[in-house]
Amino acid sequence: MSETHDDFEPRITAFVCNWCTYTGADLAGTSRLHMASNVRIIRLPCTGRIDPLFIVKAFERGADGVIVSGCHPADCHYTSGNYHARRRFAVFHDIMQFIGVDPRRMTFSWVSASEGAKWKDVVDEAVRSVRELGPFEAYRALAPDAGAASPTGEAKPAPAATTEVTP
Amino acid sequence: MTDGTDTTSAARGTAASSGPPERYFLSEADLRSLVGDLLGAGTEVIAPLATDVCQSPSAVAASACTLPGAAAVDIDYRPLAGADELDLSRGLPQLSLKEHFLPEHEALCRWKQKGTTVEVEDVPVEFAPRVVLAAKPCDSAALAVVDQVMNWDYQDELWNGRRAATTIINLACPVIDESCFCTAVGTAPDDTKGADGLLTPVDGGYVLEVTTDKGRAFAAAHAARLSDDVPADTRGRQAADERAAARARVAANLEIDAASVRDWIGTHFEDPLLASIAIRCNGCGACTSVCPTCHCFDIIDEEEGVGRGTRRRCWDTCQAPTFTLHASGHNPRDDQNVRYRQRINHKYSIYPLKFGEVLCTGCGRCTRVCHAGQDIVEILQAIDIAARRPGEAAAEPAPDAPEPVTS
Amino acid sequence: MTEAAPVYTGVDDLRRIARELLEAGDVRVIIGYENARVGARPVFVTDPADADKLIFDTRCVHNLVTYLNPRRDHVAELGKIGLVVKGCDAKAVAGLLRESQLKRDDVVLIGVRCGGVLEASELPAALALTPENVAPRCYGCDNREPTLTDHLVGEPQPEPPRPVMTIDERVAALDGLPAEERWAFWTEQFSKCVRCYACRQVCPLCVCEQCIVEKTQPQWIEPSAHPRGNVSWNVTRALHLAGRCVDCGECERFCPVGIPLSLVNRKLQQIVAERYDYKVSDDPENVAPIGDYRLDDQQEFIK
Repeated sequence: MSETHDDFEPRITAFVCNWCTYTGADLAGTSRLHMASNVRIIRLPCTGRIDPLFIVKAFERGADGVIVSGCHPADCHYTSGNYHARRRFAVFHDIMQFIGVDPRRMTFSWVSASEGAKWKDVVDEAVRSVRELGPFEAYRALAPDAGAASPTGEAKPAPAATTEVTP
Repeated sequence: MTDGTDTTSAARGTAASSGPPERYFLSEADLRSLVGDLLGAGTEVIAPLATDVCQSPSAVAASACTLPGAAAVDIDYRPLAGADELDLSRGLPQLSLKEHFLPEHEALCRWKQKGTTVEVEDVPVEFAPRVVLAAKPCDSAALAVVDQVMNWDYQDELWNGRRAATTIINLACPVIDESCFCTAVGTAPDDTKGADGLLTPVDGGYVLEVTTDKGRAFAAAHAARLSDDVPADTRGRQAADERAAARARVAANLEIDAASVRDWIGTHFEDPLLASIAIRCNGCGACTSVCPTCHCFDIIDEEEGVGRGTRRRCWDTCQAPTFTLHASGHNPRDDQNVRYRQRINHKYSIYPLKFGEVLCTGCGRCTRVCHAGQDIVEILQAIDIAARRPGEAAAEPAPDAPEPVTS
Repeated sequence: MTEAAPVYTGVDDLRRIARELLEAGDVRVIIGYENARVGARPVFVTDPADADKLIFDTRCVHNLVTYLNPRRDHVAELGKIGLVVKGCDAKAVAGLLRESQLKRDDVVLIGVRCGGVLEASELPAALALTPENVAPRCYGCDNREPTLTDHLVGEPQPEPPRPVMTIDERVAALDGLPAEERWAFWTEQFSKCVRCYACRQVCPLCVCEQCIVEKTQPQWIEPSAHPRGNVSWNVTRALHLAGRCVDCGECERFCPVGIPLSLVNRKLQQIVAERYDYKVSDDPENVAPIGDYRLDDQQEFIK
């Protein structure tokens, strides 16, 4: 069930490996390929370094979608990091789907250093599908209420006391 | 008082009673209408409520009142949405009233960095008036016990604010099962300690007794639903009999000399009895989360974005391995034996020495929720027996300071 | 409904073996089950004369392997341990051996042939298993006669009855829901979490000296018991147990607020079975799936 959110610009966080995807993304840039600009890239040495908690944290902090991308199997700069990542993210993907996160919010890809065009496609497709899904309000709704004093007991309206503290 | 400890420390949050308690009668229908009146006026009413959220069978079984006719219902103290949600089965709510006075997590302040300054936003400490109905006496009494530490060297405004805003009417407890022992630790199934009144079931409804100024104000505000018709020889007698029977039932579960238990623990820190008690414990901390008197909390700063976040406090447990982890890396309580001993020590020795109250109201939840088989009735019985052995009793009561901790 | 279970015939052998081990000094403590005031509970027997306290019946639900957890110094200090293990428990021992958290020589394993246990241990009498009272996780058990043992007692037991609703059926029901409804279900469940970490403390395979949730520099998982922090904790706990969880059910049993962790655990098992053809067993040589890889692992979800 997707509504179009025409004025919604998805915020996508991408966790990419330094040797393949980051370089591939760089190539996309130097080739002046036009692609959606919604993606913030976080560079890591290898997909094997990516802890699924990073993705959870990205959702907690306001990402509407994430991309995880690295070297193709057999091409990992560290030999086997991406093999470990592949198993880890298979489980993560399945568990997140089980708890009700739409898998279209998570994009996993192998993008090599020469695949600038593929990176463009991955980015554009991720942004398109997340735009279709809309903002990840469901995750934001998990946050304790900003402004309310406490989960139980209504607070009487009190003037917000703000104290300027100079460190 | 069975424990002989000094309990004259002033109860905070509820005004001391003056004059004899006032008594009223109301039918169950009147009671539900009263709830309807409160809700209609926009007042939050917290009461036992049957929930259908998935619960483990042992958790449900543990809260069932074992008296004939009582249903095994999963109950919790929640704000009511309607008067028909009120559960009057007298089963034991899973979690105590604690979460409504010391929430599992609550914001203490929020900060936002603006350039080189930091804006700190405090949270309100005044709360809208609300009512707790049909509370278990052990849960209300626990609030009075914790009032002591919340007003000791620091006045906890959030706790006190909620206490001041809340009127609590207990529902006399029939005693849940053999794990109850409220009378052994200074309260009773019909006590109003920490509360403002008591409902006792009688034929056709309830006798309501109010014991504090807040309770009297409550009765006055709802006079339309209450009648004065409490003849001493019928309803009055029935209420008194019900209460006495419950007290006898729970006293049969456990009788201890709390003062000598307190002193024995204080002078037998390394006793092998305490180690033998602790060994089964997994350190899961479930006992501390269901306990109405456990109140330890952690304070953390949770960054929620660049330069902004919330300082929160949340429940902590002395059974957690890192509870006493120092910044140096040293942990004086680094194994479960020592942590479990600490729990017994704090509740039955240190807190009574400091505040004159046992840090326990005998609700028995810790025993029911412990799946490793820790049984607080058994434990207190064993310590009481040890304390009564000839030559074991301390020559004089332990001094008014806890024993220094040896690692 | 209240029919008593047939008496477990292995109890005499269990007591005899325990007594002999203690008398010979082969172990310093036997960890088994005893009668509590209500129900069965773990017992630590150090005196051969107390060996008769040991019982085994349908109330012996606990996974005693939690006491072998390397964090439990005070148990290790007692000396060499003799441990009563059901099939699921033996799988946990294998897990510890596999991860070098235990030396095989440090423990003597007394296996019991098991036909399933009750969902709750706190019952005055050992009831016969029925679809209503059996622990759902027992249905379909593939290890009713544990192989990782030094001694084995009891007669072969019948299969546990099929529960009213099996865990697989409940997982399938969740899988069949639209994603928003699954999200609503799980966020409601995880909102109950009070972050007591009972699930972690009791799990025999949660062995980390410092749990990720206790790391504060930086704080990866928010410690507060709000839904956002709770989702992070529960997802992380699940991921760290993928392919390791033995389905002993203790996490769910100990949870004071009744979160149905068995559903998450079963899903994890389905994932590693389907993707990596892996089943947790009590063979310590059986390499765990996470930490291992094949060149041709499934990657249908990767572009």
